[in-house]
Amino acid sequence: MQHLTQSRRFPLSQHTIGPFFPADYFLPGDNDLTRVSADAAPTTKGDPFTLTGIVRKEGREPVANAILELWQADSSGRFRHPEDPEADKADPDFLGWGRAWSEGDGAYSFHSVVPGGYDENGQHRAPHLNILVMGIGLMRIAETTLFFPDFPEENAADPVLSVLPEDLRHMLVMRDNGMVDGVRSYGFDFLLRGPRGEETPFFET
Amino acid sequence: MRNTLSLRSYDPWPEGVQPSVPIEGYTNTWTHTPSQTLYQRPVTRTEATGPANLWRKLKCGDSNLAQTSTGKFAQGLLMQVSGRVLDEDGRPIPNAIVELWQANAAGRYTHALDQREAPLDPNFLGHGRVRSDENGGYSFLTIKPGAYPVPVKDTWWRPPHIHFSVLGPSSLSRLVTQMYFPGDPLNEWDRILQSVGDAGARQRLIAKQLHPADVGVDHLGFHHDIVLRGRSATPEA
Ligand SMILES: [Fe+3]
Repeated sequence: MQHLTQSRRFPLSQHTIGPFFPADYFLPGDNDLTRVSADAAPTTKGDPFTLTGIVRKEGREPVANAILELWQADSSGRFRHPEDPEADKADPDFLGWGRAWSEGDGAYSFHSVVPGGYDENGQHRAPHLNILVMGIGLMRIAETTLFFPDFPEENAADPVLSVLPEDLRHMLVMRDNGMVDGVRSYGFDFLLRGPRGEETPFFET
Repeated sequence: MRNTLSLRSYDPWPEGVQPSVPIEGYTNTWTHTPSQTLYQRPVTRTEATGPANLWRKLKCGDSNLAQTSTGKFAQGLLMQVSGRVLDEDGRPIPNAIVELWQANAAGRYTHALDQREAPLDPNFLGHGRVRSDENGGYSFLTIKPGAYPVPVKDTWWRPPHIHFSVLGPSSLSRLVTQMYFPGDPLNEWDRILQSVGDAGARQRLIAKQLHPADVGVDHLGFHHDIVLRGRSATPEA
């Protein structure tokens, strides 16, 4: 195939992250989105929550050593990024990004604050979490979006959740685990591969 | 303000650039790869953005992997790998986080999960993290990694390769990939490299060796540009 021109380039192919992603890249607090750095104070804006769950593969077996990255808006629905027209009003003490690692039993956890929704191009995005899953045997990053059980009406109108067939939409809504140690707690288990209605719906963007 | 539309420009992956999955002989791809339809998601603000100043969270360190802090050299062929992080329009992406890890000269990783019977090198940790400079440039001094076998019935070997994880300006430009070496016969037999269908796309995963006259006597030199998704993906912050 001939399609290389001088100005136009193509992104490099994705490859699996493999089993040997350096373990000492993971530092305590990397899964805490509320701090812009390990030594910074956490943001004081927004409602804190934890998200916990298990990553599983075919046959519902747990996946150890999966790498998950979470990206989300701040509590007012803004991003500290030039793409956001209100970036200057975004919370300067909130990073919005975190990385977690699944243990031997497939368990992972994140700590953050509940994001705000936002309006864009005449549509409303419900509060949501974008998650990337990487790991052995995953040649491409698996991308999905998680929603909160607290906002059923916003979820119903969300332009990303609406992309799914109606009977699968509930699968991307996190479980409400109530209050755990005084912090709001949600749950979400990933099934990387399984039959329709059981495999986690993933997106292509 | 910058042109928002240009930042939003994420073309679909061209045919043959993404690895074809699952892969024969790579058993984990048969149990980990999603089997259902991938749903086409619109690019909204969340997809088009990413963390600011991530280097504050992910500490970037020394780009010299070939020597310990006491100055002892790792075993193997010293080489420098350098290049630029670019968007699809060829524009440099500054402040990208570039994470790199690799096996030692004997093809073994310094990692608890690598229990293969091959020597560890006490002077080689085999990984590093740097931030691309204002011209998108990155550089590592390291040693050439060895090949290693994939322990399946129908044995194949991974050719020498370096793993890259790059965090660019948006979550859509997140890239996990591998870099290969020119001329290695194992490249042709590598199930992972060959899962990329397009010959040009495979070629772009292979580093270019620099002429020794341009590098000198201290080490070999390889050049490898890393192209992330998105045209004009660089935010003019
Ligand atoms: Fe490897």
